[in-house]
Amino acid sequence: MATPARSAAEHAPLVVSPTAETMAGAPIRQRNLWQDAWFRYIRNRAAVAAGVVFLIVLAYCLIFPLVSPYDPYDVEFSDARQNPSLAHPLGTDAFGRDLLTRTALGGRVSIGIGFAATLVILAIGVAYGSISGFIGGHLDNAMMRALDALYGLPYLPFAIITLAILGNAGFWTMVIALSIASWLTTARIVRGQMITLKENDYIRAARSVGARWHRILLRHLLPNTLGVLVIAVFLELPGVILGEAFLSFIGLGISPPEASWGSMAQEGYKNYRVFPLLIVIPSVAIATLILCANFIADGLRDALDPRTRET
Amino acid sequence: MAALEVRDLQTHFFTREGVVRAVDGVSFSVDRGQTLGIVGESGCGKSVTALSIMGLIPKPPAKIVGGEVQWEGRELTTLSERQLEDVRGHEIAMIFQDPMTSLNPTLTIGTQIKETLRRHLDISKDAARKRAIELLDEVGIPKPESRLDDYPHRLSGGMRQRAMIAIAISCNPELLIADEPTTALDVTVQAQVLDLLEELQASHEMAMILITHDMGVIAESADDVVVMYAGQIVEQAPVQELFDHPEHPYTEALLGALPQIDDASGRNQRLTAIRGRPPDLIDPPKACRFAARCPHASSGDSCATHMPELREIRPGHFVRSQHPASERAGKRVEVTA
Amino acid sequence: MHAVDGVSFDILNGETLGLVGESGSGKSTTGYCILQLMRPNSGSVRFEGVELTELKGESLRRMRRRMQIVFQDPYSSLDPRMTVGNIVAEPLIVHSVSNRKERRARVRELLDTVGFDPSFTNRYPHEFSGGQRQRIGIARALALSPDLIVCDEPVSALDVSIQAQILNLLKDLQDQFGLTYLFIAHDLSVVRTMSDRIAVMNDGKIVEIGDAQYVYSHPREEYTRALLKAVPIPDPRKMKERKQERRQLQKSLADG
Repeated sequence: MATPARSAAEHAPLVVSPTAETMAGAPIRQRNLWQDAWFRYIRNRAAVAAGVVFLIVLAYCLIFPLVSPYDPYDVEFSDARQNPSLAHPLGTDAFGRDLLTRTALGGRVSIGIGFAATLVILAIGVAYGSISGFIGGHLDNAMMRALDALYGLPYLPFAIITLAILGNAGFWTMVIALSIASWLTTARIVRGQMITLKENDYIRAARSVGARWHRILLRHLLPNTLGVLVIAVFLELPGVILGEAFLSFIGLGISPPEASWGSMAQEGYKNYRVFPLLIVIPSVAIATLILCANFIADGLRDALDPRTRET
Repeated sequence: MAALEVRDLQTHFFTREGVVRAVDGVSFSVDRGQTLGIVGESGCGKSVTALSIMGLIPKPPAKIVGGEVQWEGRELTTLSERQLEDVRGHEIAMIFQDPMTSLNPTLTIGTQIKETLRRHLDISKDAARKRAIELLDEVGIPKPESRLDDYPHRLSGGMRQRAMIAIAISCNPELLIADEPTTALDVTVQAQVLDLLEELQASHEMAMILITHDMGVIAESADDVVVMYAGQIVEQAPVQELFDHPEHPYTEALLGALPQIDDASGRNQRLTAIRGRPPDLIDPPKACRFAARCPHASSGDSCATHMPELREIRPGHFVRSQHPASERAGKRVEVTA
Repeated sequence: MHAVDGVSFDILNGETLGLVGESGSGKSTTGYCILQLMRPNSGSVRFEGVELTELKGESLRRMRRRMQIVFQDPYSSLDPRMTVGNIVAEPLIVHSVSNRKERRARVRELLDTVGFDPSFTNRYPHEFSGGQRQRIGIARALALSPDLIVCDEPVSALDVSIQAQILNLLKDLQDQFGLTYLFIAHDLSVVRTMSDRIAVMNDGKIVEIGDAQYVYSHPREEYTRALLKAVPIPDPRKMKERKQERRQLQKSLADG
């Protein structure tokens, strides 16, 4: 085969300079991905309303006990089971504690356990899912079959057994009990996302420049699962909060004088015929929070879903 | 009178960022037995034009805000959805770029053809089946009886596009709109599909609108050509005339940007790139939309302040530019009819 | 499954070998095997005498500096979560070339070379059009001053006028930096304007290889001939002749 003889004279310009011809111009869109997602999110009215309510509930739980004139732990039997009044807008419980204050306190615990457990779920799920999806092959197969087997375990009995083994039900034991059997779905989502992302040419490009596996995982794959993870937080949250409420309701959760919405409902359940407010208030609080989280998750999915991102 | 006459069609998209003038005053007509090619780059409005004719634009955000679409003397833009459904698939049929997504993957090819037949024509199940086999045979699908019960994924890309064409011509439409019908196909298959469309057009005496980005496909199949740029027609002429004497600087540039397969200079060919990119169609300037990229526009020109009219520079040859090739200084083109 | 079966060819220093074929012909797979993005089951890929299929770990990483790739899809080839500057700097970071300040200067220089305004280094890729993104991808491929670039359908997702810009750019870069290209494409006209030599692939095999001019004017194989006859050319008069020839060829294929 002859060497291609190509002399410089055969070619017109030898130096590439950014002339008007090659300089093809400014960006066509001015917003980054998160701003874009934000604009999509705020167009979804239900999601915006849910977000606002969620923030109000959150602010109430965090701030109200600080400014309330009542101590949520102060027992005052003379004030027991009062109906709503100016002094006690939601009334008082069987020990004469102000319900508005006490509900905020319960909310702190419920939401706190909810978020903590969700983060643990995400941590385990991301670790398991990304190892499985990133390495692939036989390991992926084995890990997914293991996951299938774990799916067979019913979630609540598993949490109950965990609590029984760990003994006393404090904040962190609740977090462990609630997350230990709930990370499976997140792991599966992350694995699926990894496998899809791995097929992108930018991963191939990173490999072709010799990037090592940890760079590909940490710099390319994980940042691109971020959107999915934000959605996952609000998808997992309702389940965890409901789980906490259930465990506390059957008496396995937070014990007095600490309160969560679940344990408050349990207390209220004893006298629901004579004084229904005690069970209605925490129930409404739980329902509101869960509904909001679901709407937010929905809005986030529309805003962040990679399938709609390029349009 | 022409079978289809589009007059001053304007289709706008009402988006968050503003009103996008996707189609901005497009007029043309097509006769039976004739192929009109619409050529342009992505975003020029060629597909939206086709969808507007069919009443298939997504509403909202899109809306036809002006103009007429006269089909055999009827105005299509004012028809109700129900009335349009009777026209679509029966009198006017359309085929799309991606035969994978335009066929329903859960139904057999036969079912999809028979569905269209029975929707528009009053025929029995057996007659529909017989007709479906004839149609598959007509579009060159081998062993049509057995193919009838196949699902779309069992067919190759080319065969799927043939099946799409069979559905499109099933009710003997008078107008066939083909939107990038061969873009997803390999060259050898593309050539076969274009040949097939040409044969069918002749045998069915259809009018055809062929939408493509590929000047080669235009040269191969069109009789008349409309060149679109930024929502407008910038040049319109019979195919031979357009390729022999392109007038608009954009058309010239498009032809210059094409790599030539039979150019003897081979590796040393220098392609004419067009600098910049098309203008934003939200509040486009009241000026020639190509002015910013035009090599012939100079600062003192009215290009920057006036939208040039589409004018007839020679019989049957229309151009929207202050600087058509034949009027440039030092250049006169003799044209014999 | 054999996507590619017994493909053999050389690419000479400083030339462009065009690899042309229809979808499923195995042309991209061939490109990936050369870059060791896919390991061939058997066979050998030698780069300046070094057997690439046996390289592992650090020696493979070092070799990667000399071979790069430009992808077809300007959307999936750039990480949407990274800024333009970081994308182009990635090869430099991976190979610990120079310090942060020098890297920034190098990125600007690279972007400037490919005709991308360097003042946009902090923007994200989705803010740019397909042609602009393809320039970013080319700048990334140039970052380590490679000798060989595999261009995998680099213009097939672009509009004609933008396509011309990118093709001209690739040619200029080749002349400026003495690059060797493996230019993979399905469009025969594009391959023609880019290549010194051309290899035609079909069903995972190379059916014909030779000087570009010669392959196009005197195709030896039936397949190459059919492929060439099918290419639409922007000239209605010539198209009429070609249609006639094509029909005759089809008839002779059907009869024979």
